[in-house]
Amino acid sequence: MHDTTIRKKILVCCGTGCLANNSYSIYERFVEKLKDNPNITVETSIKATGCNGLCEKGPVVKIQPDDISYFKVSIEDVDEIIEKTIINGQIINRLLYLDTNQKKRIVNHMDASFYKHQHKIALRNIGEIDPLCIEDYIERDGYKALHKILFEMSPEEVIDEVEKSGLRGRGGAGFPTGVKWRTCASFNNFPKYVICNGDEGDPGAFMDRSIMEGDPNTIIEGMIICGYAIKSNKGFLYIRDEYELALKNMQAAIDNARSHGYLGKNILGSGFDFDLEIVRGGGAFVCGESSALMASIEGNVGEPRAKYIRSVEKGLWDQPTVLNNVETWANIPPIILNGANWFKEIGTDTNAGTKVFSLVGKVKNTGLVEIPMGTKLSELVFDIGGGIINNRPFKAVQTGGPSGGCIPKEHMDVPLDFDSLSKMGSMMGSGGVIVMDDTTCMVEIARYYMDFLSEESCGKCTTCREGIKLMLNILTNITEGKGELEDIDVLESLGNTIIKASLCALGKTAPNPVLTTIRYFRDEYIDHIVNKKCPAGVCKNLTTYFIDEETCIGCGICRKKCPVDAISGSLKEVHVIDEGICIKCGNCFTACPKDAVKIGGAAYAY
Amino acid sequence: MNLELIHKYPREKRFTLSILQDIQREYNYIPREYMEYIAEYLNQPLSDVYSIATFYKALSLKPKGKYTIKVCNGTACHIRGSESIREELLKVLNLEPGETTEDGLFSVEVVNCIGACALAPVILINDKYYGGMTKEKVKDLINSYREVAINA
Amino acid sequence: MLIKIDGKTYKGHPGETLMEVARRNGINIPSLCYKKGFEGLGRCRLCLVEVSEGKRSKIVSACVYPIKEGIEVTTITDEIIKMRKDIILLLLLRAPDNEYIQQLVKEYEVKAPERYIQNDNDDCILCGLCVKACEKLGTKAISLVNRGITKKVSTPYDDPSKDCIGCGACAETCPTNAIKLEESNGIRTIWNRDFDLVKCSICGKYYTTLDALKFIEDKLASNEEHICDTCKKKSTASKFKESFQHIY
Repeated sequence: MHDTTIRKKILVCCGTGCLANNSYSIYERFVEKLKDNPNITVETSIKATGCNGLCEKGPVVKIQPDDISYFKVSIEDVDEIIEKTIINGQIINRLLYLDTNQKKRIVNHMDASFYKHQHKIALRNIGEIDPLCIEDYIERDGYKALHKILFEMSPEEVIDEVEKSGLRGRGGAGFPTGVKWRTCASFNNFPKYVICNGDEGDPGAFMDRSIMEGDPNTIIEGMIICGYAIKSNKGFLYIRDEYELALKNMQAAIDNARSHGYLGKNILGSGFDFDLEIVRGGGAFVCGESSALMASIEGNVGEPRAKYIRSVEKGLWDQPTVLNNVETWANIPPIILNGANWFKEIGTDTNAGTKVFSLVGKVKNTGLVEIPMGTKLSELVFDIGGGIINNRPFKAVQTGGPSGGCIPKEHMDVPLDFDSLSKMGSMMGSGGVIVMDDTTCMVEIARYYMDFLSEESCGKCTTCREGIKLMLNILTNITEGKGELEDIDVLESLGNTIIKASLCALGKTAPNPVLTTIRYFRDEYIDHIVNKKCPAGVCKNLTTYFIDEETCIGCGICRKKCPVDAISGSLKEVHVIDEGICIKCGNCFTACPKDAVKIGGAAYAY
Repeated sequence: MNLELIHKYPREKRFTLSILQDIQREYNYIPREYMEYIAEYLNQPLSDVYSIATFYKALSLKPKGKYTIKVCNGTACHIRGSESIREELLKVLNLEPGETTEDGLFSVEVVNCIGACALAPVILINDKYYGGMTKEKVKDLINSYREVAINA
Repeated sequence: MLIKIDGKTYKGHPGETLMEVARRNGINIPSLCYKKGFEGLGRCRLCLVEVSEGKRSKIVSACVYPIKEGIEVTTITDEIIKMRKDIILLLLLRAPDNEYIQQLVKEYEVKAPERYIQNDNDDCILCGLCVKACEKLGTKAISLVNRGITKKVSTPYDDPSKDCIGCGACAETCPTNAIKLEESNGIRTIWNRDFDLVKCSICGKYYTTLDALKFIEDKLASNEEHICDTCKKKSTASKFKESFQHIY
């Protein structure tokens, strides 16, 4: 009797984004429904996977080998999916992804604009495997790189390969990973340590979270390889305590790897020992800075130290230490397995490989995107992101979090790589890309980042602590209509001092959001200071809304949207906003189908 | 005191933060007697343990509500209106920032990016995520929690 | 190890910081958080200088920068003066009424725009020297608490500390005289706690607290004579004189 059974794999995305939309109950429902599968011709396996990237359209359910992807699936859809798609091979049109760029529904998500430009290395397994199942990882070449280095390569050869690949640290500054390893290997001072920085804190970035949740084994494998290369036997993963699922999946993967002989004593009989331990972060952005992170592991307050002696020489407990971030570790196994040359072919000459970006803000398709280094920013925002929500005018993107800056639409063709972004006064950072439209106020964004940093600075050195405080005061004044023109000069001059004089990278990059917004949006600052007007309608003191009589068609939508009944007018007649009642929420402005609601300046003189 | 929370860790300084986190999880704050006991147990000056407890934002010295509502103010949430959601929460709960409701049920805090940016704006009630929040959804959501608490 | 500071060559030892070499040779690099005998803290940032190593030059903080063979240091450039001015401005905004900060303001001719001045005056500039002094000479009763712009120095919970011995090392080392230490009627008040003072058995002046004395006795496991530092010096000097006379 030959086997006519059809095997189908149902992959239910259980990343944080989809979980928030109840994907786990969908997974359970599939398991429940197919437990006593009466259909003998279809054999199913159901997997709860990591994040597919397109979180906003979640929960995502994929069916293999048919390559069918369903989005925004609800628990009520499960029965229908089993009946139609799993058993009868039919496609449910309404659950397919609606591609706004191509203006059609897409069966295989890889054909969607959001996915088809992507090149996955760090995210290669995420969404395809069950992160808690080490066999899934092994099936997709997992731990092959480890076999290779343990039995075919010397530590020097491993370092050579990583160095030759041109991999640069994905955590922010882009320091060459191979050079870091080589320097650390050169010190004959033991023990040495390997650290994974999983304290992802840049607002707007969540790629590290997704990798830890969706493919923990690749991080483990990367760290063991480094341990072998620099002769270290102990590694730590420093993970944000708020990342509950990441902590859970990482710990399970470590335990599992240990019981499979990939961690612990005498790994795979090679004689090499290496083990990992998780340390939970305490909710401090500054602990993403390597010396602060190490202080925190040691049981101290997370204050950075001056790094005139680098942590590769004196790091954790003053011992030689290699620290890389999550995404960097995820790149190591494929580099070892496919070789440095394969990796170098991707990306640009000085920026090899890919980078994961989290595309968020006022963009249609939000989520995680992995693309070759050097891809143009416009491609990311428009081709992949599908453009701006409600087709509003695009204004800027912010990259690099609080250490980065804002890039205006005039520079949309900038290639996304470490060096090009630095030249713009911004930074790659961990890869957060926050898209802003005309309703985002650039002065307020600068104020927002200073507010963030005033809390997140460790407070150790004067320039960072007091400097950020002064910048925050000045920016708050400007957004409240109390600014003066000299403030712009003070911000620029002070910003430069903070960059040069601060102790650590947090302080040295803190002024970037302020300096770049002044550089590219000086007019907006002047509007706030001189004309007492916030063109984006964000700064309440500097905003009034009025309805343009010529354009208003009297549809009444604004009146219905107004939460305080400040708008009056009969149908088909010009409507009026009562300045005294209006709370400047902007609902009418975004709701008006004719753009008849206009933004004016301050109602009072400040 | 539930000393098991502390004694399961070796008496090494590096576990200070882990112990504090476990106590925070158990009691929603760090009671003073625990802080003093940790210092004794780990043979550390109380001032050092206090320094750590006040440095990390995940730790609180004041009791928090049964339901801690975290309003994410990451950049993506910020530009999609997290501030107005926070205002609405405080209004509905009649709270000042950092306070807990008189019935001990709710406290509201603003947190930095929790990495669910694609769902912005997001709030978290204890460990549950609510994406795509709007001002309008606030009242019903709070009421649903209140009901659960009353019926419990 | 030879290094150059402002054109002149000086000798240093491996492991020394730039500040240590400079101070030993009477070169003035301004600082508020450096104290001889303490490791550098790198907090106040006033000690910024320019270091050139071959063709590369960078701004470093002298109190934490370990010297390297052949470096050339410039302690004053226009850029450094500008940075120091900005730092003094920031300190001024924090502690506008402090006389020590005012001295720096005068020396560097700093002017703060009136409208940047806030009303939250604080003499403490968070240099952290008091915390270090308490760690080295006292009982670690105080620490830096909170973070960011709310950082401050305090005892746990701002309460009178059980550990504090009232030795006053914190107040003595403070560069801006920010720590309140009051004495009256044989009682010293510091960090919200009262301590009984002890009189010197020679000169009869109050000189330390009972707790501090006990702390030292416990540490040395001996009973100290109740003699203040001034009298101790006098007596050592006279003993020395005596033995000196004896020899000749």
